[in-house]
Amino acid sequence: MKSNDIYDGITDIRDDLIAGANAEPKKRKRQIKQLWFSAVAAVLVFAVVGGIMFRSGGRVELHTAAIAQAVYPEMVQYPSDPSDYAAIDAWYSSKAAQRRDLGDVSDLQSFFSRSSAAFLTDTEEKNKVYSPLNVYMALSMLAQVTDGQSREQILTLLGSDSMEDLRKRVNDVWNANYRDDGALTSILANSLWLNENLEFKQDAMDILAEDFYASSYRGKMGSGEFNQALQDWLNEQTGGLLQEQAGNVKMDRNTILALASTVYYTGKWNNDFWKEATASQTFHTPTGDREIDFMHQSEWDLYFWGDHFTSVRQRFETGGYMWFLLPEKGVTPEELLNDAEAQEFLFTNDKYKNDWPKMHSLTINKSIPKFDVSSQFDLISGLMSLGVTDVFDSTVSDFTPMLEDESIPVRVSEVSHAARVLIDEDGSTAAAFTVIMMTEGAPTAPPEEEVDFVLDRPFLFCITGDSGLPLFVGVVNYPVE
Amino acid sequence: MDDLIIIELYHRREEQAIAESDKKYGGMCRSIALRLLGYREDAEECVNDTWYAAWNKMPPERPSFLGAFFGRITRNLSVSRWRRDHAQKRYDGMEIMLSELEDCVPSPDAPEQEIERHQLAELISTWLDGLEQEEQWLFIRRYWYGDLVKDLAAETEEKANSCAQRLRRLRVSLRDFLDAKSIEVEL
Repeated sequence: MKSNDIYDGITDIRDDLIAGANAEPKKRKRQIKQLWFSAVAAVLVFAVVGGIMFRSGGRVELHTAAIAQAVYPEMVQYPSDPSDYAAIDAWYSSKAAQRRDLGDVSDLQSFFSRSSAAFLTDTEEKNKVYSPLNVYMALSMLAQVTDGQSREQILTLLGSDSMEDLRKRVNDVWNANYRDDGALTSILANSLWLNENLEFKQDAMDILAEDFYASSYRGKMGSGEFNQALQDWLNEQTGGLLQEQAGNVKMDRNTILALASTVYYTGKWNNDFWKEATASQTFHTPTGDREIDFMHQSEWDLYFWGDHFTSVRQRFETGGYMWFLLPEKGVTPEELLNDAEAQEFLFTNDKYKNDWPKMHSLTINKSIPKFDVSSQFDLISGLMSLGVTDVFDSTVSDFTPMLEDESIPVRVSEVSHAARVLIDEDGSTAAAFTVIMMTEGAPTAPPEEEVDFVLDRPFLFCITGDSGLPLFVGVVNYPVE
Repeated sequence: MDDLIIIELYHRREEQAIAESDKKYGGMCRSIALRLLGYREDAEECVNDTWYAAWNKMPPERPSFLGAFFGRITRNLSVSRWRRDHAQKRYDGMEIMLSELEDCVPSPDAPEQEIERHQLAELISTWLDGLEQEEQWLFIRRYWYGDLVKDLAAETEEKANSCAQRLRRLRVSLRDFLDAKSIEVEL
C-alpha cells in the first residue's frame, strides 16, 4: 500500500463525515458547554439604558464631560469574486482577528437561559422577541455606574465575580460578535447621553468609552434637539428598522444620564430558498388557522431533537445559524422555554451543538413560514424576579461611581425592550431595543433517511452568530401580525 | 439553490445546473484543487472538469450530499493530474499531503494484502468514527478538504506546531489501526 492508496481511501470516506467537517471546528472536549451570545443573520437590535434623573433639583456646576466617538475595528470586505484567493485570504484574516476565546461561558449561559425564561414566557399567546445579548450589554453598562449592593445584584445576575471580570467579558463578547464585512453586519453599539448640567466622574465615563466602545454625547435634557440627536443615533445604528420605537425614546429635563446600547444584524442564507417554491399554506395560530407564505427547501443536514421538540438550522452565508425549534404537539413554545433540555439545547454554543446526543444527518424537507414578528415589553418586573432590585429604589440604590455629587438620589425608572425579526427567502433581518430609564427618586427519534420539518404551529427561534452564541430568541405565535 | 433542485437540473439536462453548482460549490472545489495543485490555472481546469464529470454522472446518479460528490470528483481529478504531470510540474500541495500520508501506510512488517479502494475507505471511515469530534474534524479538513495546517491552527486557536503534532499523531493512529486490521484479516 502507498500513500496514493491512502489518499484514494480518504477521498471515498462516508458522506456524513465529509458533511460533518464542512462546518465550524469541533473543539476539544470541555467540561462545561459553551453558550450563546453571538451574532448572526438578519438582526438588528438597539437598547437604551437611560435617563438617570435627580429628585432634589439642586443646581450642579456644569463640567465638561468627555465627548468621544467609538472607533470600531476595520474589516476587509467579503470578496465578490470567489476566485480571488488573495482577497479571500485577506477577508479570512480580518475575520480571524475578531475571534476571542470566551473560555468557560457558563456565566453567560446562566444569564441567557434565566433571563429568556423570565422575559419570554409570559407572551399571552402573542409574539415575543428578546435580544439577550443586547440586554447583557445594557446591564453591564448599568453595573459600571453603580456600586455596593446595586452593582452586586447585577453582577450576580450576569454571572461575574467582579466589575473587572465583567469589563473583560464585555470587551471580548463585543469583539467576538462584531462583523461588518459587507456579507454580514453585526454591530453592538453603545452610547452615553449626559446631562450638561451635571458633573460626571470621568473615570467611569472613560471606562464606558474604552471597554464598552461607547460614544458619548452631552446636551440639554428635555430639549427637542437632544432627543432628536438620540433618536437619530438609534436610527443610524439600527438601519432605520425601528423608527417608530426610536421615536418614543425621550429624555426629559430630570434625566441624568441615558445609556444606549444597540445591536444591528443582517445576513443572507448560505443556501437561499427558491422563491418559486414559496406557496401559501396553513399555519395553526393559537386563535385559529391562517394562510401564510411558506418557503420550501430540501437539504442534507443535521437534524436535532429532544424529548419535547425537534430542531433544524439554517446557516448564514458567512457564519452563524438561525435555529427553529418546533414543540411537540400539545406543548407551547412558552412551556418549551422552561423545559430544561430545550434550554440546554438553545443556550449551548453552536460549536458544541454537534455533540448533542440526539441528532443525525439526513435529508430534511423544510417548510418554514416567512415571518415578520415584533414585540415590546417592560423588563423591570422580570429583572426584579431575577434579583436586581436596588437600582429601582432611590432610597437604597448606589450610583456613586457616576456623579461627583453623590448626594443626588438616583433610580432606574424604566426598562423597556422591543425587538423585531424578519425572515424571507434571502435571509434574515431583525431589530430590537431596550430602554432603561433611570430617574430619581420531543418528539420520537426521526426516520433514518429523510424527514419533513413543517413549522406550521407556534414555535421558537434563535439566531446565533459567528461566535456561536445566541443573539435573538423569540416565540412566534403569528408569523404575520 | 437547493441541492435537490441542482440535481434535478442535471437530470433535465439544463445547463443552468453547472452555473448553480459553481455558485454553490465552486469555492469549495477551487479551494480543494488549489491547495493540492498550487497553480490557479490547473485548479480552475480541475473545477471545470468537475462540472463536466458531474454532467456525465447525473443522470443516473442522485448524490445524497452534493458537496461530497463534487469534492470527491475534484480530488480524483487533482490526483490524476499529479500522477500524469508531476514529473514535469511540481505540485507542492499534493506532494506534501502524500508525504504526510506516508505515515499512514501500514508498516512493511504487516502482512501485505490486496485491499479494494472502497474497503479501505470503509476502514478509514470506521477509524474516523472512533475519534474525538475535533480530531475527526481536523483530519478530514486537512486530508479531504486539503486545508493548510496554519489555517487549521487558526480555526482551532492553537499554534501551527501544535496542530501539526496532532495531525502527526492522527496519522500514526490511522497506520496502527490499519496494521491491526491487516493482522485481523490474516488471522
